Amino acid sequence: MKPKITVWSVVSFLLKVILMVIFIFPFYWMIITGFKTYQESIAFPPSFWPAQLQWENFVKVWESGPYLLYMFNSFAVSIGCLVLQFLIMVPASYAFAKMEFKGRGFFFGLVMVAFMVPQQVTFISIFHMMSRANLLKTLWPQILPHAANAFGIFLLRQNFMQIPDELLESARLDNANEFQILTSVMLPMGKPTLVSILMLSFITTWNNYFWPFIMASSQNVYPLTLGIDALRDVEGSFDWQIIMAGNVILVVPIIIVYAIFHKRIVRAFAYSGIK
Amino acid sequence: MAEIRFEEITKKFGDKVILDHINLDIEDGSFTVMIGPSGCGKTTLLRIIAGIGPQTSGKVFLDGEDISGLPPAKRNVAMVFQNYAIYPTMTVKENIEFGLKNNKVPKDERERLIGEISEIVGIHELLDRKPGTLSGGQRQRIALARAMVKKPKVFLMDEPLSNLDAKLRVSMRTELIELHNRLKTTFVYVTHDQTEAMSMGTRIILMNKGVIQQEATPSVIYQDPDNLFTAQFIGSPQMNVLPFPDEKVRYGFRPEKVHLTNEPGQYFYTRKGHIVTKEMLGSETIYQVRYEGNSVMIKSLEDSFEQDHDVYIGVKKPNILLFDEDERRIRPDDARYEQWMSKL
Ligand SMILES: Nc1ncnc2c1ncn2[C@@H]1O[C@H](COP(=O)(O)OP(=O)(O)O)[C@@H](O)[C@H]1O
Ligand SMILES: [Mg+2]
Repeated sequence: MKPKITVWSVVSFLLKVILMVIFIFPFYWMIITGFKTYQESIAFPPSFWPAQLQWENFVKVWESGPYLLYMFNSFAVSIGCLVLQFLIMVPASYAFAKMEFKGRGFFFGLVMVAFMVPQQVTFISIFHMMSRANLLKTLWPQILPHAANAFGIFLLRQNFMQIPDELLESARLDNANEFQILTSVMLPMGKPTLVSILMLSFITTWNNYFWPFIMASSQNVYPLTLGIDALRDVEGSFDWQIIMAGNVILVVPIIIVYAIFHKRIVRAFAYSGIK
Repeated sequence: MAEIRFEEITKKFGDKVILDHINLDIEDGSFTVMIGPSGCGKTTLLRIIAGIGPQTSGKVFLDGEDISGLPPAKRNVAMVFQNYAIYPTMTVKENIEFGLKNNKVPKDERERLIGEISEIVGIHELLDRKPGTLSGGQRQRIALARAMVKKPKVFLMDEPLSNLDAKLRVSMRTELIELHNRLKTTFVYVTHDQTEAMSMGTRIILMNKGVIQQEATPSVIYQDPDNLFTAQFIGSPQMNVLPFPDEKVRYGFRPEKVHLTNEPGQYFYTRKGHIVTKEMLGSETIYQVRYEGNSVMIKSLEDSFEQDHDVYIGVKKPNILLFDEDERRIRPDDARYEQWMSKL
């Protein structure tokens, strides 16, 4: 049977195309600009494909500062956050979902508050704490404040709550202790959600500009985002092709992560009832 | 040996009393069936034995040892949950093996046990499958295998057949009886289905609203009920119960204990009635008969009586049961028995 072409299906298709163009075009523009010469990047009318691919833009970015270090910092911060978040989020979600204890509602309320208060409200006092702890010359101020992922705790708790209590009771009858219940029963069932939370968290941390901008007090602890930002000042004027080449370097890891996990990310949102 | 004793077991959820001072002995090696309407506390009682839903007060003994404070795994009991509670991310084999591993059973011993049990339960070819791909009957068998492999002293089963279709339910009933005969372990089996209770149980515990109504063998429960609730809960259609005119005392007789005749017969209790409905069920026929403002159900092997015709009903004296104003049985050895019987 042929699918029927109705007015609505045409409109719906056109809308999707328009949405895609709106989201993809800036991305496309960033990439092709990163491959242009300076002349071409400011030429009018603009070209939609570089006359010649200028790979040396990327070399220039790489040589204009300690980009290997920036990249290392970005990875160290992102992965450090992931590890700490995992270690805190999993037992916290388990406790909030499945254990009876005094003040459970109150503490979960605190988590929700932490989820709703923006960083812009807390960064001054956190900066102060980090400075008093003498940590400003290290990566810790970029990692520690993000160790507890309130949104992640919320999502994973929702997921754990859907697991029937009988499974845990059955495991208790099978002589499993709480740690085994968590690792053998709960975690495998929460895995899709957990993976998505950690991927989202990786992307957020990797892309974060505001937080390191406040907390990174020397070039030694700059992540890539600050490094790319510094490209603006190199020549005094805006070398768009260099800045865009830097941005391309910045987003490549994100694209890889997303390409691998996008199905999981979408599914986690569907599970949690947000989508 | 595995005999269970409850002493003054009470369970409350908040202020709500679910089990009220239960005293009970479950015999070693018995197939004890707990039956009662939904919400009467059957699951709650099982969970108290298993240790996963502790009692509010009172004690549980297993073979004379007070196990009230023991964690579930130390009690030597296995439970088959109503929803089976199979670990969905593990294969069938891993499901069965989980408890053994946690109990530090060596690998070759585990393999031997799993092989033996899956042969008995008939799930050999399923061992590498994930539970998500299995049917209700197969899951039920896995839950059973998982319980059996631990060689527990007591099997606790919470309505294990209620999620199966009618045909499978009947065949699993036979299999469970065979299993019990073979293992000779104590079974505590919860159901709300009286056919299951009567056909499987060596003993039946009938509960209502957190109180044990009667504990006896199936035939005693059927023929010699202690009270009105028991008399009416067991039997289908349920026992006909009629009041003595202007009195609180009632009498009852089972539909299958009534004889239908065209002429008045020689019975202790004889009435003339009118057949209102007739339901032919194959080997037997259910008649609804009206007389003196009462309506009774009668189950008969005789199909020859017609709807809208008059008929005589007759019941023998031992088949008439009396219940006092508190709904308790008045038995033949009771002083009041003859006095009430003479009024019929
Ligand atoms: N965790 C709980 N919290 C509050 N009430 C409960 C809980 N579990 C069971 N109940 C109540 O206890 C009563 C008995 O439940 P249950 O033992 O499951 O009955 P059943 O005989 O159907 O198995 C029901 O009224 C039920 O609502
Ligand atoms: Mg129940």
